[in-house]
Amino acid sequence: MQRRTLLKLGLVSGTVLALAGGAAALLQPGLVQGRLTEAGRALFMGVGRAILQGTLPQDAAAQQQALAAMADRVDTLAQNLPPHVQAELSQLVGLLGSSAGRLALAGLANGWLEAAPAEVAAALDGMRYSRLQVRRQAYQALHEIVGGAYFSDESTWAVVGYPGPQDI
Amino acid sequence: MSKLPDPIREGLQRGWKVRGGPHGAAPETLSCDVAIIGSGAGAGITAELLTRAGLSVVIVEEGPLKSSSDFRQRESDAYPQLYQESAGRKTEDKAITILQGRCVGGSTTVNWTSSFRTPPTTLGYWAQHFGLADYTPEALEPYFEQAERRLSISSWQMPPNENNELLRSGAVKLGIPVESIRRNVRGCWNLGSCGMGCPTNAKQSMLVTTIPAALDQGATLMVQTRAEHLEMAAGKVQALSCVGVLPNGALAGDAQRTRITARHYVLAGGAINSPAVLLRSKAPDPHGRLGGRTFLHPVVMTAAVMEQRVEGWAGAPQSLCTDHYLGTQPIDGPMGFKIEAPPLHPLILATTMPGMGQAQADLLRQFPHTHVLLALLRDGFHEQAPGGRVKLRSDGSPVLDYPLTGFVMEGARRALLAMAEIQFAGGARQVLPVHERGELYTTWAQAKAGIEQLPMQPLLAKVVSAHVMGGCGLAASEKQGVVRPDGVHWQVENLSVHDGSLFPTSVGANPQLSIYGIVNRLAQGLVQRLTGSAPQILA
Repeated sequence: MQRRTLLKLGLVSGTVLALAGGAAALLQPGLVQGRLTEAGRALFMGVGRAILQGTLPQDAAAQQQALAAMADRVDTLAQNLPPHVQAELSQLVGLLGSSAGRLALAGLANGWLEAAPAEVAAALDGMRYSRLQVRRQAYQALHEIVGGAYFSDESTWAVVGYPGPQDI
Repeated sequence: MSKLPDPIREGLQRGWKVRGGPHGAAPETLSCDVAIIGSGAGAGITAELLTRAGLSVVIVEEGPLKSSSDFRQRESDAYPQLYQESAGRKTEDKAITILQGRCVGGSTTVNWTSSFRTPPTTLGYWAQHFGLADYTPEALEPYFEQAERRLSISSWQMPPNENNELLRSGAVKLGIPVESIRRNVRGCWNLGSCGMGCPTNAKQSMLVTTIPAALDQGATLMVQTRAEHLEMAAGKVQALSCVGVLPNGALAGDAQRTRITARHYVLAGGAINSPAVLLRSKAPDPHGRLGGRTFLHPVVMTAAVMEQRVEGWAGAPQSLCTDHYLGTQPIDGPMGFKIEAPPLHPLILATTMPGMGQAQADLLRQFPHTHVLLALLRDGFHEQAPGGRVKLRSDGSPVLDYPLTGFVMEGARRALLAMAEIQFAGGARQVLPVHERGELYTTWAQAKAGIEQLPMQPLLAKVVSAHVMGGCGLAASEKQGVVRPDGVHWQVENLSVHDGSLFPTSVGANPQLSIYGIVNRLAQGLVQRLTGSAPQILA
């Protein structure tokens, strides 16, 4: 039922993220006082593992650490956002953090951390190229937050060959 | 942290009157000759001219006061502290990301220093379609000249960085003329960090020029203070109602409210925000113009991988451009565009480049060899590029509804083609149109065929903007605009608008100098009317 509701809203509304979560998102916000919930953290770590595949450290422990540090930075990023953006992000994260919302919006049956990285990547690609604006919006939001949070820290610059700013 | 002198911290120590945020609570009431909303391009010029004329001025800025000691050349500092919505402001359908300043100095604190007078073709269009007969290049000449002198706007003497040189070499091979871009800098270190706040105070932004001049003359600056609404009665503004906000814009639990009364009010919060103040104030709008015709110069990009190192983070950004494609068709024909070479830093690169996983990782690893061109699409000159409309959310915050029409996206496709052709002519090994369906093409023929087939849809093609204009448009008839040619609101006699929201179309060039020059004239007129004597010019 939720999937159908989402699809319908997606066809008619550009601001559907504000509506699509409905009661589910209101019951389980993705941010609490501007901080990611546990489900929200799992979402960004799972999505981050797929989006940043090839960029993250290869060693399993180092990779886990890099993803956890990125999730911490998503927290910081979220706290700096104005209230109306926090509210939208909370709805998106709440929705994608719930199993019904994850299935509806991303078409992913398993949890973000339980699914194989290839499954997560396929789900993200589905959103990225979707004919539904709401799914493309969600993909773009995740891509921007993950890339922004990851590369905001100096420890990530060497892998892309950026030496950092000149000391003055 | 910069070890260089910081003129803002020195000014604070000298006793500048700055309140709000960490600078101490603002008083509950204030009265002055002129209250100015905003502290960017239009506000700064206005504040300096008014204070030089001996008028008492209060400047209200929603963002924080940050200065060279704070500018560590790091995106993670700059975006949340200095930009609207952490540099992630979006149009209503999320299809366009808008870079706009939110700090003392406004967008001038974080812009890339490109300085162009308003193109004569644009002014001609304003005269013909909006009755702005006195907005000729000749009439504006002295006002541009004064602003240029005040802000050290001059040709850039250093060789262009590789990112800009590649624009030149590719264009020249195609017989396309390239021109140099004047910059508002003095003693520039050629670092390339302009977008994160100039750490050496070389950029002659409002933060280090007109705002300090106004503060030295006794102006009061209120920071982290939002102009909520103007109290209107009997066709006049009676007061400006303000409230203190937290760094992210949320109201503090014990939010300090300030009511400012003034003889005259100048709205200069920048496009999107200025119309929003008027919408919140329920300002008269008998012809439904307020917030409409808001323009963005929608930007599309191509990224090339070069044999040589480009290091797009280093050196003055945007020192060369080509206007060739603004002139290949009439101004009111298919969309023209201006091509420039932007600075590149890791956070913005990673969020802007399409794709994920190994493909994106491979692309990002080429960062030192990456060359990016951008095209600014000139919106507002054709009925199918009418811009967007500013609306209010239920919490009173503004949002811009900007539909990317098929006409605009057709211009975007031509821009992607033009940029890819220039990059291949300049020796690119591969070129990627910044589009979710874009591929790394290895020849111009391949790129041409590929780009011609791309679905040019919102949220597939990456579209950004750093130039927000319009929404309180100038017009010689009240039916056509919000503001009279002298900058005064058509229906509210003690209210002027002095910022980029004045422009009745987009400018067709980076807008900062258009704002400086045009507001310089408007503010001198305001001084004359308020004091009855001739104004001193910018010094």
